[in-house]
Amino acid sequence: MSKSLLVISRQAPWSGPSAREALDIVLAGGAFDLPIGLLFLDDGVFQLAPHQDAKAVQQKDLGANLQALGLFGIDDVFACSHSLAERGLTPPASAQPLGNEDICRLIDRYDQVITL
Amino acid sequence: MSTLHVLSHSPFTDSRLDSCLRLCGREDAILLCGDGAYGLHSPALHTKGVKVFVLAEDMQARNLPLPDWADSVDYPGFVQLSIDYDKVNTWL
Amino acid sequence: MNTLTVGARALELDKDGYLVDLDDWSDEVAHALAAAEALELTADHWEILRLLRQFYAEFQLSPATRPLIKYTALKLGPDKGNSLHLNKLFNGTPAKLAAKLAGLPRPTNCL
Repeated sequence: MSKSLLVISRQAPWSGPSAREALDIVLAGGAFDLPIGLLFLDDGVFQLAPHQDAKAVQQKDLGANLQALGLFGIDDVFACSHSLAERGLTPPASAQPLGNEDICRLIDRYDQVITL
Repeated sequence: MSTLHVLSHSPFTDSRLDSCLRLCGREDAILLCGDGAYGLHSPALHTKGVKVFVLAEDMQARNLPLPDWADSVDYPGFVQLSIDYDKVNTWL
Repeated sequence: MNTLTVGARALELDKDGYLVDLDDWSDEVAHALAAAEALELTADHWEILRLLRQFYAEFQLSPATRPLIKYTALKLGPDKGNSLHLNKLFNGTPAKLAAKLAGLPRPTNCL
């Protein structure tokens, strides 16, 4: 049984390479059938905001990439409710919102955690 | 399962420590290193009641006093902690 | 520089033989890319190549093998969306070879 991995993505989409790197780890893990989860925390929840235009800042479309998670076998996608509320964002359809206590238990459940 | 959270950013310019405190469990501990050591000045850290460690050399370099609610560790101590806890979550 | 000559045009390829510019792709270019791999394109191949173009338009990335199989099964049914069918069509490396012939970038999550 391979070890399970939780990736916590907590940077805004265009602030640097972190958001892209977190997604790459998750997609690579998914391609290898690893038990993998993805949690959007802090500014990371901005990655889930709709109708962003990556081309305007000459970036690849991270939002479109995120829609492929299901096809890569990544079904455990979560977003921090506190971070969403703090930023006035409504919970997106593509990620399950979790409160602080639930996130604490989520981190507990995985063998390894990477926070980017 | 217990987690050792490693923080290397000052809590006064950055939200990592706030988020970590919000999400960490009772069995968890926090290790402050680099500018994370300035967390020793943060009242929030102390009131949360979670175990706190600080890397001795980073504390010494910044002339920070060690409060009675934190312990200092050297590098071998850091390695030992990463073994003692089930996993390490480095807030990069 | 790696190039592929199609008609009067010389198209730029990366070091692995993938088109540098997605918009350079056409049916004619696909035939030339396939010929370089000693592959004759059939209707079954075309179906997958067009599906890959669609995948890229939707998700802005080239799929690894598993998502390619899953997406094909979703769009064309389980008779086509399985590793046997796709491996047979694309010499055992469907994600890499089909992406190349469809003019997509090399799948980055396919090690």
